[in-house]
Amino acid sequence: MMDLAVRDIRHDLGRFVLTALGLGMLLSIVLAMTGIYNGMVVDATVLPDTLGADLWVVQRDTKGPFAESSRVPLRLAERLRAVPGVSRTRSYVSFNVQRTGVDGRVQRFMLAGLSWPDDTGDLLLLAQGRSLRAPHYEVVVDVSLGLPLDAQLSIGRDVFSVVGITSGMVSSGGDPMLFVSVADALNIQNDLSNEALRLEGEARLARVRRSEYGRDPASLARAGQPRLPALTPPPVNAVLVDVQPGQDPVALRQRLEQWPDISVYTLEEQRALLVRGVIDRARRQIGLFRTLLVVISAIVMGLIVYTMTLDKMHSLALLKLLGARRGVILRLILEQSMLLGLLSFFVALLIGELLFGHFPRRVLVADSDRLALAGVVAGISGAAGLVGLRKALSADPNQVLAS
Amino acid sequence: MTEPARRTVVSAENLSKTYGEGALRVEALKPTSFEARAGEVVAILGPSGSGKSTLLTILGLINAPTTGSLRIGEVQVIENALPRTSLERQRRQQIGFVFQRSNLIPFLTAEENVRLSLEIDGVNAYESRKRARALLENLGLDKRLLSLPAKLSGGEAQRVAIARALIHRPSVVLADEPTASLDSSRGRQVMELFRDAAHAQGAAVLVVTHDHRTLDLVDRILEMEDGRLTERARAPGAGRSPA
Ligand SMILES: Nc1ncnc2c1ncn2[C@@H]1O[C@H](COP(=O)(O)OP(=O)(O)OP(=O)(O)O)[C@@H](O)[C@H]1O
Ligand SMILES: [Mg+2]
Repeated sequence: MMDLAVRDIRHDLGRFVLTALGLGMLLSIVLAMTGIYNGMVVDATVLPDTLGADLWVVQRDTKGPFAESSRVPLRLAERLRAVPGVSRTRSYVSFNVQRTGVDGRVQRFMLAGLSWPDDTGDLLLLAQGRSLRAPHYEVVVDVSLGLPLDAQLSIGRDVFSVVGITSGMVSSGGDPMLFVSVADALNIQNDLSNEALRLEGEARLARVRRSEYGRDPASLARAGQPRLPALTPPPVNAVLVDVQPGQDPVALRQRLEQWPDISVYTLEEQRALLVRGVIDRARRQIGLFRTLLVVISAIVMGLIVYTMTLDKMHSLALLKLLGARRGVILRLILEQSMLLGLLSFFVALLIGELLFGHFPRRVLVADSDRLALAGVVAGISGAAGLVGLRKALSADPNQVLAS
Repeated sequence: MTEPARRTVVSAENLSKTYGEGALRVEALKPTSFEARAGEVVAILGPSGSGKSTLLTILGLINAPTTGSLRIGEVQVIENALPRTSLERQRRQQIGFVFQRSNLIPFLTAEENVRLSLEIDGVNAYESRKRARALLENLGLDKRLLSLPAKLSGGEAQRVAIARALIHRPSVVLADEPTASLDSSRGRQVMELFRDAAHAQGAAVLVVTHDHRTLDLVDRILEMEDGRLTERARAPGAGRSPA
């Protein structure tokens, strides 16, 4: 039996291709939604995943810097390093910066401090350049910030040179990340104007004058253990702890939890926090939107196949009149529906291939997602085919005589 | 070349058809009996609305008669009580249809339209192509094999339709005003085709026509009047001319 479906399509190829193009665009949005969601999950956790510490030590009774403000003393890293079973500790500090660049465009990024010299950023996904080699004025930036190697970047009152470029290092909000040493990060974070520094100095002096030792300097000599109103160094947000090989992070965590000033989380817990906290709403939103798009695609496809069938009613009636089996009509309609679905599917893949890389945020489409889309398209095509078939089987041979 | 046996291929007894119910009831075909033999061309004449098309749809196994019985070829169709699938098979194998116009499937070429009649009954592509080409060449359409129906003239399209109706060698060819959209010389050509086919293939050809100028080419004339079928006495000089 000759292939009627293909012959009919060939007869009006332009229309068929155009229809598939439109449908393919619709399906590409379904694919984009999936990719955007996957991208969000990866983006949200790329920082803790890359830093790769076993434990996150944060301010007591907080959930850590990804959830809320967490402040721990800079010296906590040293205390933790002394604990048996700990192989390495790194201070972690990060904060968002939004500013207007020289070109007038708003730049938003997240700045993170690397615990120089223990951590120079070797773990980062470096695409170009190198990790930090000096404790100051060097910065590793993400490629999404759009700066080339050796570019000069002024942050706060200092100018940094770009020594390395990462790819895909973004904050959970999708902003590019910048890495400097913890010392530089703290400087930037606590950067004060000259006037503020002067005022701060005077306030400090006034505090000392008001204290017992200020009122009676001789008392300082009498005191065995003087309690000076010392200036503490600025706090960091967390300390990353690596466990020695063979040691159980969970056991260490239980020991550390006894310390009254800190809370401890495993990497997994931090990831879960990010995935659930940061993107849960977005996930549901995207999920709903994607479902809606699938339903719309199904309706559109059903309508298209129905119209394609309507256009053929006379031919279908003629086929019936000639005594064609139902299978002939069934194959004609379902095959066309499937071909339309197939072509649309590949259009969607192609659009994804061409466009998704240019999206401002990561769009991550896995083969399993493509397979799932293929399944959805097959389902939609089948359903649309049935809609067309219902109409097709109602074709009445009498119509041929009546015309 | 005439069929020696002249067997009866259509045999209708008390066929009738009533459309609708109550006030809308139309007795389109009153109880009618007739026979048609192999190799015969039968013209059916009658005014509009007299029930000619209704009769053809019943003979063509498209509509079931309200009463009566019908035999086509070897198969007895009593009030179309046969299952749908075997009615379809009867249509594929026993019957050829030609209508006034829009006979052809627009997305198939002339050759494919003819092949269709064979392929829906399971003939393979090679065989169907060979036979379709031979027949179309015979009808002078060898330059038109690959043309779509929209590119054919009315007369060409009608010859393709006739080829499609004949290619599977049916025992009955049913034609509903096949010459209505053609000028008189082309109309005559079509009627000659039917006559030749009837003689060559031994088919009974039933043609509904308004075209009285071609009646000299037919063997018998049936007249339809208000749902009633009567045989007209042969006009002198009309009828089969010796081949
Ligand atoms: N499906 C139907 N339902 C109801 N009435 C019908 C139907 N088909 C035909 N009729 C009626 O049956 C009668 C015969 O119709 P038919 O089409 O057989 O006439 P006809 O001889 O072919 O006319 P024409 O020369 O105009 O084609 C008409 O009165 C018509 O209105
Ligand atoms: Mg009619």
